[in-house]
Amino acid sequence: MQLDSKIPGGPLETKWDRHRFDMKLVNPANKRKFEIIVVGTGLAGGSASAALAELGYNVKTFCIQDSPRRAHSIAAQGGINAAKNYPNDGDSIWRLFYDTIKGGDFRAREANVYRLAMVSNLIIDHCVAQGIPFAREYGGLLANRSFGGAQVSRTFYARGQTGQQLLLCCYQGMMRQIATGQITMFPRREMLELVMVDGQARGIVVRNLITGEIERHAAHAVVLATGGYGNVFYLSTNGTGCNVSAAWKAYKKGAGFANPCFTQIHPTCIPVHGPYQSKLTLMSESLRNDGRVWVPKQAGDQRPPQEIPEEERDYYLERIYPSFGNLAPRDISSRAAKLMCDQGKGVGSTGLAVYLDFADAIKRLGRKVIEERYGNLFQMYHKITDQDPYEVPMMIFPASHYAMGGLWVDYNLMSTIPGLFVLGEANFSDHGANRLGASALMQGLADGYFVIPYTMGGYLGGTRLSEVNTSHPAFGEAEAQAKARTEKLLGIRGKRTAASFHRDLGNIMWEYCGMGRTDEGMTKGLKLIADLKGEFWQDLLIPGTDTTLNQSLERAGRVADFLEFAELLVTDALARRESCGSHFNEAFQTEDHEALRDDENMCHVAVWEYAGEGKAPIFHKEPLVYENVKLSVRSYK
Amino acid sequence: MIWVVRIFTTSIGKKQLMALTGLLFLLFLATHLLGNLSIYGGQGAFISYAEHLHALGKLLVVAEVGLVVALLIHITLAVILFFENRKARPIQYAVDKSGGGGRTFSSQTMPYTGFLILAFVIFHLATFSHHIVDQTHRNIFQIAYELFSNKGILIFYLAAMVVVALHVRHGLWSAFQTIGANHPKYMPFIEWLSIIFAIIVAVGFGSLPLAILALK
Amino acid sequence: MSGKHINLTLKIWRQNGPQAPGSWEIFPAKDISTEASFLEMLDIVNEQLALAGKEPVAFDHDCREGICGTCGCAVNGRPHGPDRETTLCQLHMRRFRDGDTLVIEPYRARAFPVIKDLVVDRSAFDQVIQAGGFVSVNTGQAQDANSLPVPRNKAEEAMDAAACIGCGACVAACPNAAGMLFVSAKVSHLALLPQGRPEAAKRALSMVAQMDALGFGNCTNHKECEVECPKGISIRNIARLNREFIRAAVASTEKIPASGGGQ
Repeated sequence: MQLDSKIPGGPLETKWDRHRFDMKLVNPANKRKFEIIVVGTGLAGGSASAALAELGYNVKTFCIQDSPRRAHSIAAQGGINAAKNYPNDGDSIWRLFYDTIKGGDFRAREANVYRLAMVSNLIIDHCVAQGIPFAREYGGLLANRSFGGAQVSRTFYARGQTGQQLLLCCYQGMMRQIATGQITMFPRREMLELVMVDGQARGIVVRNLITGEIERHAAHAVVLATGGYGNVFYLSTNGTGCNVSAAWKAYKKGAGFANPCFTQIHPTCIPVHGPYQSKLTLMSESLRNDGRVWVPKQAGDQRPPQEIPEEERDYYLERIYPSFGNLAPRDISSRAAKLMCDQGKGVGSTGLAVYLDFADAIKRLGRKVIEERYGNLFQMYHKITDQDPYEVPMMIFPASHYAMGGLWVDYNLMSTIPGLFVLGEANFSDHGANRLGASALMQGLADGYFVIPYTMGGYLGGTRLSEVNTSHPAFGEAEAQAKARTEKLLGIRGKRTAASFHRDLGNIMWEYCGMGRTDEGMTKGLKLIADLKGEFWQDLLIPGTDTTLNQSLERAGRVADFLEFAELLVTDALARRESCGSHFNEAFQTEDHEALRDDENMCHVAVWEYAGEGKAPIFHKEPLVYENVKLSVRSYK
Repeated sequence: MIWVVRIFTTSIGKKQLMALTGLLFLLFLATHLLGNLSIYGGQGAFISYAEHLHALGKLLVVAEVGLVVALLIHITLAVILFFENRKARPIQYAVDKSGGGGRTFSSQTMPYTGFLILAFVIFHLATFSHHIVDQTHRNIFQIAYELFSNKGILIFYLAAMVVVALHVRHGLWSAFQTIGANHPKYMPFIEWLSIIFAIIVAVGFGSLPLAILALK
Repeated sequence: MSGKHINLTLKIWRQNGPQAPGSWEIFPAKDISTEASFLEMLDIVNEQLALAGKEPVAFDHDCREGICGTCGCAVNGRPHGPDRETTLCQLHMRRFRDGDTLVIEPYRARAFPVIKDLVVDRSAFDQVIQAGGFVSVNTGQAQDANSLPVPRNKAEEAMDAAACIGCGACVAACPNAAGMLFVSAKVSHLALLPQGRPEAAKRALSMVAQMDALGFGNCTNHKECEVECPKGISIRNIARLNREFIRAAVASTEKIPASGGGQ
């Protein structure tokens, strides 16, 4: 596997411009001769579909949901970053770039991140033009708020529903192109195989989730924007449908998988309440702008929060990280919460929670202001927990949230398979070992609106592509493979549902490869995963058939892939001999429990190549070269 | 299809035409009531009101034709909308209590109260209209008195006024909503007006037969 | 782990496919924690059904935090169940009492045909949006975001309308299965913002024509949609759509398309 990141030379600020000039163009009349498949309709897939269609390409877009408007980007709450510097508080493209690199604990590519910061401003312009009702000041201009991991206010937001508004505008852009016939939409389709011809990605095989039919679709290039793999932990903030399957199929066809161990654990989620629980709900990080995080100073203090006097509370984030306080980045806040609970100071019936208290903010600003800022979040919290956060402090606990790792891509967002592009959370490119708040929306839209429209042209214009249609033998093989696997799954006829295997896998992953990792635990985890995988293929039960909508079958396929992927995740975590960002190996920590990086030996992207069934994956390394920032200890104190 | 006609083939166009004709009837109800209240000035005042009204001559015919046309439109559209709406939900819910509390009795019964009102209007015209009933030998007061002396007819009239009130109670605010007049500042007022106007219609018209019977 | 446990009887609509005749099945739901969400209760029942060799009840769901709009069915005749401004996934079992019988059926509307059990096809909404629920701006064309001020209250009102999650509860709740709240929310969202004004007339006419063509019923102002909307979207938006529509029909040069502008 050759890892050529194709980072253009020259000064950081002009790399993207120069690259755009150097790339081949496809003239307008020729664009309509090309077909592009986009899988996934979140911010990345939706924006890519719309932007490519606007240019005149014929786009075929697929999603597993009933409508492209359902993709899980919709659940992003807090906001989207941009270096507009409207508040005049010292922001700049360079600062957004630097914050993102530093937030990622110096494990992201400089050139990619700089480009991301550059196009961040264009995203806001475009979104406003599309009619996104961003929050505004009384003068009618855009409002900004601060967000975890930054000391400037650069986050644009639409109440607590920013992701929803951004996604719906992508969706509307897509609908406009569907009406003109430029996009053909295939909802309720699940990608089962990537089809390769002459070493290039030339199509996909999908299952029509309603009829069970296997369909073949050919194209000149394939774009995966299938999101992250946070559901490998079973309980996560992801939607229940989020899965790794499309990315995993691409990996098995030769796409490198980068940094799978970088999984973000979000600090502010509603704690687990029972074994039947199906997901964890995120409470936007923006709550930490006004909420104060605390635990009782005394371990095992069972008193209700109102009865614990001020001097017996430990506002530990403010204490340990005085300059960032409650706005410390996600990985740091999560770990601090875990540390407090490990010390027995956790609250709630399980002892696995900390308080997020708004009493001071309500006193300072009044209930009305808090209601305006967080009304819907408070309402959501109230509904789920039956407790009123205006009266009693919220209880929060970290939960699996975002995957920084993903399929390896070069500067053009192309994977190691020619013609297979990967966008958004599904790729690994911009967030390093930890993502800052309000950056996921930025990256998804940057990739889809402002990167792929250029780099796709560069690929199509500069590549020899043979005539391929769905009768090509490669499609037959892929379809046969997909069918065989479905039959195999249905044929097990065991006694356990896919959901129960998934739950077990999640427990293993959270226990042995979660927030605090040890070599011993991870080794044990690998063994447990292998056992579970064995049991899965022996004892899986799928009711129903494959000729109608069968959600059990869908789930089984996804869990099967998670079981394989989990091994890769743990393998990667074991191989990273340092702690950085979200990856915290307890063997590598400072005296005060902070992550201890090893820039000497570990400043690289770990890329894994599939070696075949039952064989250990092959390790490759893309060294990270820092020409513009100095690697420093990441301090938020 | 010319553009005006096309408007009234759309769901909103149909509704707006319903609303406009409905508002016209409300206006008619108000004037009709105001005129009839002359009964409280005594027999003479009432008869004199009827004579003055008929003296309008052609103007009255124009108004009558206008009302009949509006009525035909209102009824035709009502029938079309009723069947379209039924078609839009081919399978009913197994449980369909009063829903979430948005519906009112009057909103749910609009098609039926409408139908009853039509029946009433036909009866009313057949018993009062100067085109049908000979008003040269008997004056309007005598006609009314004889009619209401029949207990059955009296009860039918009183009941009909309740039905009209129910129709008005939903129809009035609904017409404003449909033509697009809904604002947090004035909508609460219109909603109140619907109820008050409905009561005025029921009490106002309902009291007339009793007043007539009392006067003799 | 707190909370108590209750036993329920579920009467659920089962339908194997779009053409298949449906029928009612009755299952017990035993020992359900009141802390569980409605969908988690269905998960538990489905797990039991699967282990008993029966096919689980198909139902749509994804984010389970009340924003994606995927879930939804009628519980005792009410879309998303009895709680106001609450999606089915956010409805919790503490809302019900031990011994209750819950009748669970799919949304009923000609425009939303049943796919299987509680899953319905809501692609009609996508087709309505295709007819004009967007601003025609290509990527890269935009001017600076702050070059066009938007009065704060307009932006807030637009956001109120834009909060629609497209779940279809309005159609399901409407005695006429009308789609007006959904359509009006999109028309309002874009009509309230200066960015949406250039196409406002065309949008209102096309979307209404498309809505009509898809077999939704007519609005008769029952307000059921507003009451059942999990996002509390107001029927003032419907009034705005009515206004936008008649203004566009009479006073603009745009024509009402024969049957919508979508596919």
